[in-house]
Amino acid sequence: MRFVGIACVHAWRQTVGRLTPPNTCKYHPSCSEYALEAFRQRGLLVGGALTAWRLLRCNPWSHGGVDYVPKKRCTHEERPA
Amino acid sequence: MMLPLASILQPLEDILTSVLEWFHASVGLSWAWSIVAVTIAVRLLLLPLTVKQIHSMQNLQAHAPEMKEIQQRWKHDKQRQNEELMKFYKENKVNPAASCLPMVAQIPVFISLFYVLRGFEEEILPKYPDSSLEFVGLVNITDNVKTGWGPLLLVIYVLSQLTSTYMMSQSVQQKAQRYLMMVLPIIFIPFMLSFPAGLLVYWVTSNLWTTGQGVITRRLMPKPDPDALKKPSKPAPKTPQAPKQANGGGKPKTPPSPSTPPAAPAGPPRRVKRKRSGGGGRR
Repeated sequence: MRFVGIACVHAWRQTVGRLTPPNTCKYHPSCSEYALEAFRQRGLLVGGALTAWRLLRCNPWSHGGVDYVPKKRCTHEERPA
Repeated sequence: MMLPLASILQPLEDILTSVLEWFHASVGLSWAWSIVAVTIAVRLLLLPLTVKQIHSMQNLQAHAPEMKEIQQRWKHDKQRQNEELMKFYKENKVNPAASCLPMVAQIPVFISLFYVLRGFEEEILPKYPDSSLEFVGLVNITDNVKTGWGPLLLVIYVLSQLTSTYMMSQSVQQKAQRYLMMVLPIIFIPFMLSFPAGLLVYWVTSNLWTTGQGVITRRLMPKPDPDALKKPSKPAPKTPQAPKQANGGGKPKTPPSPSTPPAAPAGPPRRVKRKRSGGGGRR
């Protein structure tokens, strides 16, 4: 199922995404990279929700920044210091 | 499991329909001009986003030296450079990027309008039996683009698309990217032939708005710092190849300001010792 999401992102990148100037996104990774990673790691539903939330955050009133897809479950050893 | 697109967009379709009807019945515009009015309304709603972005770009000028430093420090690691730049933007609450949302947000509007126009003759027109669907005597907004004078509208659309893309892409450097931007609207033509002509009316109006906005934005962009221009090591603005693609609109072009980040990394090595709290303006 997650391939549906990944295909949608690629479709976006090949069409409208090409029309937008580079560095349109104020986050790193960009929204479409984020979406690809979210679909890969979390599947269609959670990945889609994460992507939607990211797109809403990527608005002119936010300040952008570095924002990776949250890990599925943070075990104690993996937890960043 | 997956809801059809039409039902997700139903609320938006209802809003579009009532706004269209309001422009037609209360303001007295023809249906085609109502579409133009709806387009302008949508773009007016998105205007604060553009204003916000222009402000952000103007603020960026003050931080240009620090950004140069970051770009120098991580010039061999693009990924890290991006991360550091983004952190810097966030800390200083400036960000030159346009954001993804304004672009994504227009797609549902467009698809909804497609559905509204498709069901227009059955659902809306019977309520207003004497109204005309004509657009400046050329096309009927619910007809396919390929009928009547529709192809002319299509040509106007492609020209307006090229012009507005050009206006939006002042900092684009890569040739491949530019080439694609010019070719894509032409690739879309076969799909558009089966669209209702009213959709093209929306698109052309939107493109003209974008073009106008681009002209004004360029005027408002901060001029290059006169101090910076005096420096002999400053690279010349990369404008010479740009006018080539200006086939749609030969608008006067101001050189890209040094504050736009895509143009900045080309700078030659330059000593920047400024600390964040360092003295104001003295070099």
